[in-house]
Amino acid sequence: MEMVEKLTLITPEILLFLGAIIVAITGLSGSRALRGAVPFITAIFLAAAAVLTQYVYANEEALTSSGLLFPRLGGYIKTLTCVVGIALVALGSGTIDRAYERAVASGRTRFNPLRVMRGEYHAFFLLSLIGVMLICNATDLIWLFLALELSVLPTYVMVALSRNSRGANEAAIKYFFLGAMSTATFLYGFALLYGATGSLVLLDIRDQIAVLLSSEAGLPNFALIGMALSLLGIFFKISAVPMHVYAPDVYEGASTPMTAYLSIVPKIAGFVAIILLCGTFGWAGRHEITFAGETMVREGMPDSIQTMLWIVAVLTMTLGNIGALLQTSLKRIVAYSGITHSGYMLIGIVAGTTAGIDALLFYLAAYALGNLALFGVLAGLSRAGHEVENIEDLAGLWRKNPRMAGFLALAAGSFVGMPPLIGFWGKLMIFIAGIESGEILLISIAAVNSAISAWYYLHIAGVPVVRAATPRSETVVATNRLSPKIVATLAGLSLIIVPIFTTSLYEYARTGMDVSELEVPSSEQTLAPGNGHDLDLMTEESSA
Amino acid sequence: MLNSSLFATLSSVSAGDGHAETVVSAIPEAARPENMTWAGLILLLPAISAILCGLYACLGIKNRLPGWTTVLALASSFVVVCMLYAGHEPGQPVVIHLFDWIDFSWGSKGAFENVTANFALYVDDLSLFWMLFVTGLGTCIAFYATEYMDEDRGKGYSRFFGAMSIFLLAMSALVLGDNLVMLYLGWEGVGLASYLLIGYYYQKTTAIDAAKKAFIMNRIGDLGLAIAIWLVWFNFGTLEYDGLFQALNLYLPMAEDGTLAGTQMGDAPLGWTAYLIPWFLMVGAFGKSAQFPLMTWLPDAMEGPTPVSALIHAATMVTAGVYLISRTYPIFWLEMEQGGYALATVGWIGGFTALLAATIAVKQYDMKRVLAYSTISQLGYMFMGLGVVQTFGACFHVYTHAFFKALLFLCSGAIMHGLAGQLDVRKIEGLRMAKGWKVVTWTMFIGALWLSAFPFTAGFFSKDEILAQAFVQEGPGFRALGWIGIITAGITSYYTFRVWFRVFGGKTLRIEPGPEHHGDASSFHPHPPGWRIKAVLIVLALGCIAAISSGYFGIGHWIKGMVSNSSASWGMPLHWHEGDTPFFGGDPHVTMYYVSGVVGLLGLSIAFYFHLYNRKLAITLEHAIQSRMSIRWIPRLLEKKWYMDEIYNATVRIPTWLCAKLLYLFDRLVIDGILVGGIARIPMFIARIFQPLQSGMLQGYATTMAGGVSLIIAWIIWTMSKGGG
Repeated sequence: MEMVEKLTLITPEILLFLGAIIVAITGLSGSRALRGAVPFITAIFLAAAAVLTQYVYANEEALTSSGLLFPRLGGYIKTLTCVVGIALVALGSGTIDRAYERAVASGRTRFNPLRVMRGEYHAFFLLSLIGVMLICNATDLIWLFLALELSVLPTYVMVALSRNSRGANEAAIKYFFLGAMSTATFLYGFALLYGATGSLVLLDIRDQIAVLLSSEAGLPNFALIGMALSLLGIFFKISAVPMHVYAPDVYEGASTPMTAYLSIVPKIAGFVAIILLCGTFGWAGRHEITFAGETMVREGMPDSIQTMLWIVAVLTMTLGNIGALLQTSLKRIVAYSGITHSGYMLIGIVAGTTAGIDALLFYLAAYALGNLALFGVLAGLSRAGHEVENIEDLAGLWRKNPRMAGFLALAAGSFVGMPPLIGFWGKLMIFIAGIESGEILLISIAAVNSAISAWYYLHIAGVPVVRAATPRSETVVATNRLSPKIVATLAGLSLIIVPIFTTSLYEYARTGMDVSELEVPSSEQTLAPGNGHDLDLMTEESSA
Repeated sequence: MLNSSLFATLSSVSAGDGHAETVVSAIPEAARPENMTWAGLILLLPAISAILCGLYACLGIKNRLPGWTTVLALASSFVVVCMLYAGHEPGQPVVIHLFDWIDFSWGSKGAFENVTANFALYVDDLSLFWMLFVTGLGTCIAFYATEYMDEDRGKGYSRFFGAMSIFLLAMSALVLGDNLVMLYLGWEGVGLASYLLIGYYYQKTTAIDAAKKAFIMNRIGDLGLAIAIWLVWFNFGTLEYDGLFQALNLYLPMAEDGTLAGTQMGDAPLGWTAYLIPWFLMVGAFGKSAQFPLMTWLPDAMEGPTPVSALIHAATMVTAGVYLISRTYPIFWLEMEQGGYALATVGWIGGFTALLAATIAVKQYDMKRVLAYSTISQLGYMFMGLGVVQTFGACFHVYTHAFFKALLFLCSGAIMHGLAGQLDVRKIEGLRMAKGWKVVTWTMFIGALWLSAFPFTAGFFSKDEILAQAFVQEGPGFRALGWIGIITAGITSYYTFRVWFRVFGGKTLRIEPGPEHHGDASSFHPHPPGWRIKAVLIVLALGCIAAISSGYFGIGHWIKGMVSNSSASWGMPLHWHEGDTPFFGGDPHVTMYYVSGVVGLLGLSIAFYFHLYNRKLAITLEHAIQSRMSIRWIPRLLEKKWYMDEIYNATVRIPTWLCAKLLYLFDRLVIDGILVGGIARIPMFIARIFQPLQSGMLQGYATTMAGGVSLIIAWIIWTMSKGGG
């Protein structure tokens, strides 16, 4: 594929990169108004990137020849990323550097470009989103690795910058070290994959694995370990067991808008990477392989990887739930609930059919909307200048601010999966996909977990209504910042309104996995090095 | 006047053109014109009016704006119905698609592979017939209510008219909907509106209780309807009337001579569940139309404002059951063709209810309650008509009853309004002599004449259609049923005029003010109704008079034409067997006019004698009955409404309550105590075990992660070493 064509596909990212530079410079400006405009500029660039994405992905020809595993996946994911990004900017606008800006405004400090961080924060914000979007365009392991790192490295800094406290620094350190460890894990996995297949290109690796699996010797053991390690490393991004341990501490340390970021964006990144890797490992469609005159049909991933995913899904949803039960800190509850939701979403991966991934992509949007509503409310409240962190702080909120308490309840209801909220449809589709692929036990476990999770979600919804205000919660008031409230309102309402268009959103999510007529990438190609046999490799869209 | 040639014309009306013909009419497929979406205004206008009334309430508007908005919306809705009627081709149903609503399909999307219920209107003669009087009467009564509800101007006024608009919206959806789901939507919607309006005076406990009672009793019927709808889909694979009728065409006798069974009967007979559909539909109809045993809610529903009683609980909503059965009549017909007794049951329940309610009405003192029981009784007649395969008579009676019963209710509303809530017939006398009450006196007289089926009134013709058919149609004990109907007609005549003679008759004006009057009773003067109430009363009385012409001129043919061009007569032979079964030596449709006329006059005379001419004798007679142990239970039984409420209490309420208590105990002890308490502790317990792992130490986390990864890798290597992979 030509370089120019490759660049055409990532024009939204290039645009955002420009935005990152502009934002970084604007943030250093001596003019307070210009510095204040930083979030707006960020949002405008994100909106432009979202629009551009639609144009880029309307170009069928470029997609067909792109050599991507799932050529259309980016259309949905990039749009989702940009929309979520705009909401997150709105959520956080005005919180970064708040104390410093106030000191400058009141004349207590003179403006010093070296001390201001707002521009940096938003530049990193955009860079991280670029990373997420670039993952969709990964054609080889190197690209995938670099994009994953680009998505995660800025977040270490952002956690530290997000608020002026030692807790945030501690969280950033923990996040960085554990993140580095996970990177090492999947990088090692990538290396083993390269060793086993002799290629870095995802499509080649996929075909090679198919050939190896059908060969007499079978897949080499270290290839399997490579697969397992690369998935396990990426589980860090979606905070799945056993890489989930960092989540509660880091979420708690970061500021509320940053917690919102951490709970949504890395999950998108992680799941896209997992979809790509699993596609490489085998379930992207049903393969009919003609090898030495014989036609073989192969479906799905190697059994042990499939089983590993199954076990990880069960452990993730269960441990996440159990962890959330005893928490009183809202952010820790959200962290654990995020772990649980990753478990549910892994069902989509385990189901592995196109329906499973469609459902997963839909679920990502549903989950993001719920989180935005929840964090919109939390970011819109403050307790004597501090963030609202404890669930007890919400007591009596219903009387003071029924609208916010209502949105909180909606978000909680959506997380539980209460019809007709969007969370219900997400869960329904995931469960249906699971049942269709025969994972009855897994779905039963998920259903039990879903019931258990009602305990703490209903707590979040109920405490503002039922519990009488305590002296501590009396001090909780709505902040005068408008943007979090707008986010809470829009996201909260969309939890009810979007389900009306469930079918349309789901159809849109489906386009991401549309592999029909695109995926005949390597027919008539000699694959196994040295054996000289011609392979006719055809793929069809597998149906549930 | 009673010459036989007149009766010959009358009988030809009843017999219609179907006298010698045995043509079986197939159910025509509906046309689907594209350019008729304007008919959606019938539903849209009340909806807008309801929203506006809600807005008025929010804005705290204190004038009559909500009332006029509603009247305007309903009147426009009526005009649209008339336009629809004007452009309607008799016998040709039309489906007007408004928008997609419920539309699931799978497989090859054929029958049984879709659940389709779109927001569409099924316009045929039956639904048009219904809509004409629903919207027409709705407009009149809303107009009446603008004055009647005057004292509540403000929030209550908006609430009242908002609920009225919701009612008209729901009723239109019920009647016009093109599928059973939309009918169900409307069915529940009118139930909601009825609930809201019965409980309008929500400060009164009795009103709230009555509202709840109506709602809960209706749930029983609604369950039946829901099951019936499900069974319809299960057996015919569609919920839309058009599809349903086309499916039924395959089963109903279709040959010209009426002998051959439907083409499908041989090769793909319907399952036994298809023959359950009429029974469940019946339950739904009996709930909404207050038939035995689901009748007790209707008298209590009189707690609502009187215009509501007139519109919802007399003229329109309670006839929804009749509409339901008329609409799905081919299913009933099919069941009967197969030797079932669903229709006979409908007839018998109707006849029994008619008699039961009429006997109760005899001993009630509250004017509105008398009218409520008479409504139940008249509804019983309608079901009797459906049961004895006289759908035309049933629908005709719905129509005449709607007018005269609405008129009677509105008159009693005027009395209640003017007399500070007084409705007790023992406490009012000689009202005709009060100033400004002429219109009420004589319009109510007209209403009473019509209700008692006085010869040559509209009620007389419509009722006789039903009674005569009972002697024509062959069925289990239908002749006895006919006699029950005749006896009931006499009782009806008696209790109706008992009220009128008591309230308006008498030599002196004597009024005890009602509970809403505060102050000295002797200074009380009834305040006569205003021009709007009078105007509506006169219009309705004129409507009643005009309906007489149905007996003489073309109107009878008009209604008959509408009914027989619809599903109410589709699929059955238009053959009434007249003359085959003589009644008093003649065609029942002729001789019945004499018999029922005599019986009605008898009832009227008794009422005249005891309640106007010689009231002392009535008191003496009552004392005489009271002093005899052997018979004094009879009036008591009637006054206590056959102890229906008490029987319900003992057979339904107390067992339910006991059951609920038991379940509550089970829930507290077993579910909450052992299951929830126990199971909920397990995750908590596990959580406590794992909590130390979340220590906050970086090394600890790294170890956990590395440990987890190592475990998984070790497990993979182990499976591989066992030869898997």
